[in-house]
Amino acid sequence: MAEATATGTTSEEWQPKIVMFCCNWCSYGGADSAGMGRFQQPPTVRVIRVMCSGRMDPVFILNAFLEGADGVIFSGCHIGDCHYVNGNYKATIKYKFLKAMVNELGLEDERLKLDWISASEGERYAQVVTEFTEQIKKVGPSPLKPEGVI
Amino acid sequence: MDIGDCYVGWATDEDIRTRGASGGLVTAMLAAALEKGLVEAVVVLKKIGEFEAVPIVTSDPEEVKAAAGSMHSVPIVLSRYLEYGTKVALPAKPCDARSTIEQAKRGQVDIDTTYIVGLNCGGTMHPAVTREMLDVMYKLDPEDIEGEEIDKGKLIFETKDGKEHAIKIDELEEEGYGRRESCQYCAVNIPTMADIACGNWGVIGDLAGKGTFVEINTEKGIAILENAIDAGAVEITPADDKGKAIRAKVDGAMMNVAAAANEKHLSPIEGSHLDYYMNALKDCINCGACKTVCPVCACGETAKCTEFSSASDTYKMSLFHLVRFVHLMDSCIGCGQCTDVCPVDIPLTHIYQRFAVPMQEEFEYKPGMDMTTPPFFGVDLIED
Ligand SMILES: Cc1cc2nc3c(=O)[nH]c(=O)nc-3n(C[C@H](O)[C@H](O)[C@H](O)COP(=O)(O)OP(=O)(O)OC[C@H]3O[C@@H](n4cnc5c(N)ncnc54)[C@H](O)[C@@H]3O)c2cc1C
Ligand code: SF4
Ligand code: SF4
Ligand code: SF4
Ligand code: FES
Repeated sequence: MAEATATGTTSEEWQPKIVMFCCNWCSYGGADSAGMGRFQQPPTVRVIRVMCSGRMDPVFILNAFLEGADGVIFSGCHIGDCHYVNGNYKATIKYKFLKAMVNELGLEDERLKLDWISASEGERYAQVVTEFTEQIKKVGPSPLKPEGVI
Repeated sequence: MDIGDCYVGWATDEDIRTRGASGGLVTAMLAAALEKGLVEAVVVLKKIGEFEAVPIVTSDPEEVKAAAGSMHSVPIVLSRYLEYGTKVALPAKPCDARSTIEQAKRGQVDIDTTYIVGLNCGGTMHPAVTREMLDVMYKLDPEDIEGEEIDKGKLIFETKDGKEHAIKIDELEEEGYGRRESCQYCAVNIPTMADIACGNWGVIGDLAGKGTFVEINTEKGIAILENAIDAGAVEITPADDKGKAIRAKVDGAMMNVAAAANEKHLSPIEGSHLDYYMNALKDCINCGACKTVCPVCACGETAKCTEFSSASDTYKMSLFHLVRFVHLMDSCIGCGQCTDVCPVDIPLTHIYQRFAVPMQEEFEYKPGMDMTTPPFFGVDLIED
């Protein structure tokens, strides 16, 4: 990870804060594989492990934004691969609601993303993080960020 | 008697028939259900003033009989007062009936033991607004009022001296009075989701004002009406085609008016949505009243919206509201009660509907209309 940080971006440039929820069995493994495979990625992501993407509660995501996250990703096993049979189907429904909510609320659509990453997809994990970071840099700091939080 | 049948009925007891809104059929049916043991309890409104009433759960047929008549300035939703497993009957406006069904989906009400006696509804008024309206529009002292009714688009108040004072509802609403905003855009007038739907639309000829139009929607609807007929409390005659046609026509016209009001009401927010919502919610004092009255919320005292937020949070928006926005997207029926109770006058129903309506339209799901699973819970399990 140290290497990724060093080769990241210059220190002056604003770095977004991204919260990423990963399911224990796939996406969290994907994060590990990305590290082990030394795939470069920006140091913008704070990973929070949940047992399954189906465990994702809308309150986690809303809280992340209120605490100052500029973007939130939540990810799990590919459809059909969830270790709890259908957790990621449940995640899909919740995502749909959250997405509609975030849009109506007036947060930019780009700030919330759902993606499926398997344990072996280290390279893809790094790619998702890199692309999402670029996307958030374009939209800038979140308007929900509390005063004093960077 | 079959599902789909329409009748005009009335209470055989003269006193109930005259005190009832349109023939006392509903009161007679509810009282007979108690007397014959079809139900153990009935939820009705007990009048405590000209513009106020409290919901009571009673097993005393006399209390049910005393509650005859329609109260247009009491916007309380009754489903909140039902208890799981009790054999109970309740008079239900479409919002009462719809929230009862939503509560049943969440395991709070046993739909098989709950008899929903639907009342057609053209709208209710806020008690405090009604008082102000009497003063400003009618130039009457609210304490001087002894009765109220709606007839041919006019809201009529009777004063103690026996005089009637009528003003067109349209005119009142133009001035910001009349029905609550939520009722102006509520498009469900006939409670097709109730076991039986009762109203005065479609009662014509000699029976006008002295009979209640009923449509049977379910087996339970048949049971509660037949029970009252067997008890000798109610008489019915088949509704004629002309009456049915008039009822359908008025319903259609009201639905169009509501749809137009809804479109106006939910017109796009100009400028930043975030500023709009932050500004709208900034006065919230975190009292929790809006959640307590919400008739589709089944969470009870300790809920996600309250447990994870606190009055001392310094967030830019209240987590309490954000959680409730998501939770109500597939269940808010727009009953208006949250706005009614908010001590700092936040237009909550308006806000909740902005989040809920687009989602409900996308999923083609209208809460409370039948027992279909809400989209939030509607996950297809994969068969291995
Ligand atoms: C607010 C309101 C608006 C209505 N608008 C229309 C309309 O536009 N078109 C139409 O055809 N019919 C309408 N009705 C129905 C109509 O007024 C009669 O209630 C219905 O015809 C039954 O008459 P009844 O004599 O059999 O009822 P009653 O024997 O008088 O029994 C009425 C029962 O309703 C209960 N009740 C009274 N007020 C309320 C309330 N606000 N909320 C819940 N329960 C209540 C009473 O406790 C009582 O048990 C409305 C009713 C209400 C309450
Ligand atoms: S929300 Fe609809 S059903 Fe409820 S009181 Fe208003 S008009 Fe009647
Ligand atoms: S959120 Fe408000 S309008 Fe919607 S169901 Fe609850 S109390 Fe009624
Ligand atoms: S009723 Fe009004 S003040 Fe009370 S919690 Fe709800 S929005 Fe806030
Ligand atoms: S375990 Fe990975 S999504 Fe369910």
